[in-house]
Amino acid sequence: MPNIVVCFKWVIDEAYIRRGSSGELDFSSVSYKISDYDRNAIEEAVRLRNESGGRVAAVTVGSPEATKGLKDALSRGPDQAYFINDASFENIEPSQTSAILADVIGSKIEYDLIICGEGSSDLYTQQVGPRLAERLGIPCISFVLKLTIDGNHIIAERKVEDGVEVTAAPMPVLVTVLPDINTPRIPGVKDTLMASKKEVVNIAKDDLAQTYEPTLQTTAMTAASMERRCVKFGAEPGDIAGFVEALEKEGVLR
Amino acid sequence: MDFKLTEEQELIRQNMREFAEKYVDPIASEIDENSRHPVEVFQKLAEGDWMGIPIPAEYGGAGADYLTHALVVEELSRSCSSTGFTLSIHVGIACMLVLMFGDEDQKKKYLVPMATGEKLGAFVLTEPGAGTDVMAATTTAVLDGDEYVINGTKTFTSNGPTGDTYFVFAWTDKEAGRKGMSAFIVPKETPGMQAGTHFQKMGLRSSQTSEMLFKDCRVPKENLLGQEGRGLVMAMTGFDHGRIGISAQSVGIIQAALDESIKWSKERVQFGKPISRQQAIAWMIADMATDLDAARFLTYRAAWLKDQGVNFSKEAAMAKLFAAEAAMKHTIKAVQIHGGYGYVKGAKVERLMRDAKITEIYEGTSEAQRMVISGTVLR
Ligand SMILES: Cc1cc2nc3c(=O)[nH]c(=O)nc-3n(C[C@H](O)[C@H](O)[C@H](O)COP(=O)(O)OP(=O)(O)OC[C@H]3O[C@@H](n4cnc5c(N)ncnc54)[C@H](O)[C@@H]3O)c2cc1C
Repeated sequence: MPNIVVCFKWVIDEAYIRRGSSGELDFSSVSYKISDYDRNAIEEAVRLRNESGGRVAAVTVGSPEATKGLKDALSRGPDQAYFINDASFENIEPSQTSAILADVIGSKIEYDLIICGEGSSDLYTQQVGPRLAERLGIPCISFVLKLTIDGNHIIAERKVEDGVEVTAAPMPVLVTVLPDINTPRIPGVKDTLMASKKEVVNIAKDDLAQTYEPTLQTTAMTAASMERRCVKFGAEPGDIAGFVEALEKEGVLR
Repeated sequence: MDFKLTEEQELIRQNMREFAEKYVDPIASEIDENSRHPVEVFQKLAEGDWMGIPIPAEYGGAGADYLTHALVVEELSRSCSSTGFTLSIHVGIACMLVLMFGDEDQKKKYLVPMATGEKLGAFVLTEPGAGTDVMAATTTAVLDGDEYVINGTKTFTSNGPTGDTYFVFAWTDKEAGRKGMSAFIVPKETPGMQAGTHFQKMGLRSSQTSEMLFKDCRVPKENLLGQEGRGLVMAMTGFDHGRIGISAQSVGIIQAALDESIKWSKERVQFGKPISRQQAIAWMIADMATDLDAARFLTYRAAWLKDQGVNFSKEAAMAKLFAAEAAMKHTIKAVQIHGGYGYVKGAKVERLMRDAKITEIYEGTSEAQRMVISGTVLR
């Protein structure tokens, strides 16, 4: 009966981000959600537990305000949650997140299988899963479409460029899953109400073995914008030259 | 003062939004067109414990508060107000009546299967000659041995053709006036009770509305709800609860009208710019957003008062009056903002406008709400 750990991130729901009048991103009326693929990760962990027994622990690193995220995650079926929180964990980068997760999972949680989403809805760096596996010294299988537990092994179907690759790895193992793997449930009313009755282990910054400093610096963030010049070009050589000329004139090509 | 919902309320609301987008939006237009009760949606609602939210867990419900129920009716109605209403009358009136007035056996036998969503409830009060004037009813229930014998004709029963558990109001002692009416639980297929064919309506089309005919319909004595003579009080208490649901339904309609109007007015270009940049249109949207908040806060206050265990009759009537009239007013504006495109079948605003009208009529017309409100403030 495997012990399954599932990692999730509580992110800004991109649907609520607006473009400010001078092109900046406006976060003033945003709402949060569990990162899309992490919902698949949770669903898969719960599905495997329901099939093979064992336990599911959901783990997140974030700001202390993310309590709603914990309830959301627990309402989807995990048995308990680890909430690694500090005000400074709000905007950390993948290297830090994975290091903090490895610190906690490695020292405090028994695991046979760790499931992560392929990437998060906000940054989508696809780094946390592989970095976490590396730090824990366990195999990592990415782009997973289908998972089965077979004795001490996990069998994973991976999406690769020209088909599907079937891989097996001995547990403990980490997998990162794609949205195709399942359809996340919509929690029922009782699931949501019961969520706050499940066990949550709070872990503060001081409980970690060390501090993990950022290596990246954000210098600016602006909204993508699109302006139409309403100029049409055909496929004739002359048109193509005109097209290149127009791009140069607009400063798109230099 | 705190205008924040709890985290659970927010999550439940978001989950219902997702539910409605997934299961209701795709069929809303079809069930309106075909006047079809979406059984498949109600099965899913039952699976997710959505059909007995404010009913304690021991009686099959989710054991949440009434405000949570209102939030769910609102979000469901934002996608399809007929579906939202069917849920509202089932929980707000049918389930609440047994919860408040039923004895332990009745709760086990009738409330549990309703709160779990296995059975659907119906409220059978209105008669052809007795709408706003409930006292003009003529349906009677006469005790004969261990059974009551019900005779009469009811009309406009929501869930009439599709219900399982009917709450029927009849005179047990006409002479006693306001203390002469009683309420009975009549299960589907009780001999002597028959639902008519459902009416084709302007709006609210997927909700099934019909006559209910009672001809020597016999129910055992145990099916009397509460005591004899308390029927009118129960009906009025049922209305108090139901009206919060109708307010929530109306809020969902206004929210949908606003969503559609914002989307359309930003996309539709006339005179070289989106019509949202015409002040005439922008101000309609400002008024819509303002009345939406007003309707919503009146609704939440009424639900919150209910959850505090204090009297909320006046506040529920105010919420229902304001929200219903705002729903009608702003769905008309939403069609206006859409121009000809809003007048064509398939446009959501067209359905919203037809659906809005009923909120000013049932569970007490707007005039009836004003009677309740003025009756209290002028007391
Ligand atoms: C779709 C639909 C679903 C319904 N569902 C149910 C249900 O599930 N169960 C149920 O029991 N009933 C139901 N009803 C009935 C509904 O509650 C009544 O239609 C409503 O109470 C009004 O009654 P009426 O239609 O007889 O109108 P009337 O009472 O005849 O009213 C006609 C008009 O006169 C006004 N009026 C009446 N009396 C006064 C007065 N004293 N002062 C000022 N104005 C007055 C009214 O406000 C209205 O504008 C439903 C009706 C509809 C259309």
